[in-house]
Amino acid sequence: MNSSPPDAQPPIVLNLASDGELLKEYVIESREHLNNIEQGALFLEEHPQDADTLHSVFRSFHTFKGGAGFLNLVPINQLAHGLESLLDLARQHKLTLDAERIDLILRGRDMLKQFIDQIDAQLTGAAPPAPILIPIGDFGREIQAAMTGESKASSASPAPEATAAAVPAAAATVKVETSKLDSLVDMVGELVIAQSLVTQDFIAEAAANPRLARNLAQMARVTRDLQRVSLSLRMVPIQGVFQKMTRVVRDLAARQDKEVQLLTEGDQTELDRNLVEELADPLLHMIRNAVDHGIESAAARAAQGKPRAGLIRLRARHQGGGIVVELQDDGQGLDKERILAKAVEQGLAAPGAKLSDEEIFHFIFAPGFSTAREVTDLSGRGVGLDVVRRNIERLRGRVEVSSAPGQGTLFKLVLPLTLAIIDGLIVTVGGQRYIIPTLLVRESFRPRREMISTLQGRGELVNLRGRLIPMLRLGEQFGVQPAAGSPAEGIIVVVQTGASLKGLLVDGLSHRQEVVIKNVGQMIRQRNASIAGAAILGDGRVGLIIDVNALGSLPAALGERTANN
Amino acid sequence: MKAQDCSIARTPSAARPGKYLTFVLGGESYGIGILQVREIIRPTAITPVPQMPPHIQGVINLRGKIIPVLDLRARFGLAAPAANDRSCIVVVQVKTTESAGMLTGLLVDAVEEVISLADKDIEATPEFGCRLDTRHLLGIAKVGPTVKILLDLDRILGDEMRAQV
Repeated sequence: MNSSPPDAQPPIVLNLASDGELLKEYVIESREHLNNIEQGALFLEEHPQDADTLHSVFRSFHTFKGGAGFLNLVPINQLAHGLESLLDLARQHKLTLDAERIDLILRGRDMLKQFIDQIDAQLTGAAPPAPILIPIGDFGREIQAAMTGESKASSASPAPEATAAAVPAAAATVKVETSKLDSLVDMVGELVIAQSLVTQDFIAEAAANPRLARNLAQMARVTRDLQRVSLSLRMVPIQGVFQKMTRVVRDLAARQDKEVQLLTEGDQTELDRNLVEELADPLLHMIRNAVDHGIESAAARAAQGKPRAGLIRLRARHQGGGIVVELQDDGQGLDKERILAKAVEQGLAAPGAKLSDEEIFHFIFAPGFSTAREVTDLSGRGVGLDVVRRNIERLRGRVEVSSAPGQGTLFKLVLPLTLAIIDGLIVTVGGQRYIIPTLLVRESFRPRREMISTLQGRGELVNLRGRLIPMLRLGEQFGVQPAAGSPAEGIIVVVQTGASLKGLLVDGLSHRQEVVIKNVGQMIRQRNASIAGAAILGDGRVGLIIDVNALGSLPAALGERTANN
Repeated sequence: MKAQDCSIARTPSAARPGKYLTFVLGGESYGIGILQVREIIRPTAITPVPQMPPHIQGVINLRGKIIPVLDLRARFGLAAPAANDRSCIVVVQVKTTESAGMLTGLLVDAVEEVISLADKDIEATPEFGCRLDTRHLLGIAKVGPTVKILLDLDRILGDEMRAQV
């Protein structure tokens, strides 16, 4: 085995025709290893002696190398080999992984990723077949230097027999197409409905027949468990996203010469796989904002008597059928007066309007709020935050922000656990049932006549403990004749849209139910934007899910901003 | 409905020989290509959707899938007859540019039979000038003494997808 890294680097020429399938598998496998290497390296930065992680990163490089050798991807093979040797010395305690060496590993990993990305691009046809050449430069020598730092040269290249014994402790997992999972969830949903119909049919008999009653109860239990399990198949820990952020903070802080520490909590909190993927982007944006503009320079912090290193906390936890992700920095915080002044200037708020802190902070999510601003010491705060809000709202979640000058800012994302299911409040209007996502419901109450006032031609308002919020008659919106003749006979459901509230007048509340969200199709969707989807209710019928943000064009008066203006 | 220019020459019939499912709508007999038919179900509870035109009846639960149901009578401006026990929903799957194979239910008065049509049975849709919108017809088939109107489902459903509100 040649352990000296190469100087002249041959390009990789892929033989897509004969190796296509193998390469595909190699790419998929490699991505997992790249992930593992990155996470491992970051962990080793804090705990350089952790034997398990050392082994695991070593094994990843080793497998990387093996596959590359088999597929004749020479530069990858050599690169992985060099890094593997470095890890091997570390796990034999012949050297310690200091920051420089960790950096080397991460850089090596990034180069490997570039190779894999390019191979992937050619496999998927995104890039034309061409020789792949990624300049490695002096990297080989750097590894060599890093290895000789403390030990006797690179003679300690790993013995293949020894590594063969290190069987990868791969978790027993199976990859399944999501469409199969979806149809499983569909079927189980139907099974639950069928089961409840059968149980209903036999209620009378079951009372007289304990055996039947027992069997029905057993069937109900098994069906419920089956549903729970089938829904949990899509759940993964949020860990992956958090780890990505660790790397981002590390790199950003280094680039800006700031000292920033990221603490994560609740890595194991599980949520829908799709959601994890969709969450990565907005979170990245917010992390960037926090490092860029939230955390001050070390000198400025020291001058304020704060610790030199800024602290960013990333927390995830389950709460009330949803998930809460919090991003908290201990930086300079938001400047309330400046934001309000800017909002007034841009016509987002009426001059002299009395707004709560929350409402003022919410202006940073307005589209274009930051770009057209001259205020410089807020610079960047708000860049792309409208995109963050839109993304989160698309995921049927909401963003809350609070901040104290000099003490930092807290962003709180409240999200459903999954995109596939919502906890819905089922309301009735004139014999029809509609579903409102419970996450958006603040409260509901029966209004008294005097709580409702009409503004001529500008819609109705309801007085909610001194705060006037717009009221929408759902029946009127949907062209359904409500059973309740006057609002005082109905119920008002207060829903949150952005920073403002809306009251929806319905006939009554039916119940709360977890429903699997289904697409209603384009034919419906393009004609009525306020239908977010549909779900199958307990009796097998379809209930429509209301998109409260799109519902009704509201009177733009009274300082209540809506999604439409 | 868009105003049509009467002077434009019509494209000739696109109906191909093959098997067609025929059904009754307002006393007339219609046919659709059998390959587009997925199943025929008994009328089930239709959930009306707000702000839809009259011919979109609503949505139904087809074994866990949610599909829209069209009332072709309303679509073609035929009078709605009293509901009868032969009514059913024909579930069709049509590939459009907007979606690959979306399921749609068609409410019909009664399903008749599956017929085989040869080239000689099919005639192009006659010209009616501007009095009749024939864009959604593939052609006319003669089966013995009766006439079946062959529908262009691709176009009917494709138009539904693109409809501007």
